[in-house]
Amino acid sequence: MNDTSAFAATDKAQAKVVIERTYRARVEELWELWTTKAGFESWWGPEGFRVEVRALEARAGGALEYDMIADAPDAIAAMKSMGQPLSHKTRGRFAEFKPVERLTLVHVIDFIPGSEPYESTIEVDFRATGDHARMVVTLHPHRDPQWTKMSAEGFRSQLTKLDKRFS
Amino acid sequence: MQLNPFETLADPTRRRIVEALRGGERQVGEIVDEAGIHQSGVSRHLRILHESGFVSVRPDGQRRLYALRPEPFRELDAWLAGYRRLWEARLDRFGAALEERRRDRGATKKEPRK
Repeated sequence: MNDTSAFAATDKAQAKVVIERTYRARVEELWELWTTKAGFESWWGPEGFRVEVRALEARAGGALEYDMIADAPDAIAAMKSMGQPLSHKTRGRFAEFKPVERLTLVHVIDFIPGSEPYESTIEVDFRATGDHARMVVTLHPHRDPQWTKMSAEGFRSQLTKLDKRFS
Repeated sequence: MQLNPFETLADPTRRRIVEALRGGERQVGEIVDEAGIHQSGVSRHLRILHESGFVSVRPDGQRRLYALRPEPFRELDAWLAGYRRLWEARLDRFGAALEERRRDRGATKKEPRK
């Protein structure tokens, strides 16, 4: 048996979440948002959080270390209510690093109470198509159910609030 | 210990059992044949699937029939939808950041022409 024929939901649990986006930009511009301090800080978020990059080594095996800091009032309140610190020191590295083509970003998840440290990988592929650039982000949620559950629940409630405020 | 849906389906043998049950109700013997797993393994994993809510069991005379239950799959769906939304929002911000950088660059490029 191969896994591709598996029950749809089994597939989802086992396989990946793939998100594709096309931007009217050059691939180099997309690449910069992942691989420069200012670029990464400008979007990583999540909503209500800002990022301060401590180290970003733009090469294969290079370190990526940053603080994720709750800075919107709602985000601060949410982290407090979950008993979480307002600032999370986060460690990772660029495992693969092929400029303007592909990178993989490995995060070390070592801050879940009661859980052994583990690694979570994000794959990003870039491709130029005419005057657009396509980006495919591949996520492996089954590898980190607890962390993503906490972040999804915590941040989703945040997002809902923020959506309401801005809509 | 109660496994979450991801942990339950992380095991390849359990995924093969779920696959075998896609066609509808099955007896243990049929699952053994379809999944190609030894009977003792099937029984053990069926018990885990039953305890975590993936599989129901009902007696039919001397036989016991196993079937999939939809609830945990719905839970997985909902959870994944939330996970995906989180990332969609993140990539929305990525697009916005990209636009902002382009605007800034466009502005500095145009200035000397004035």
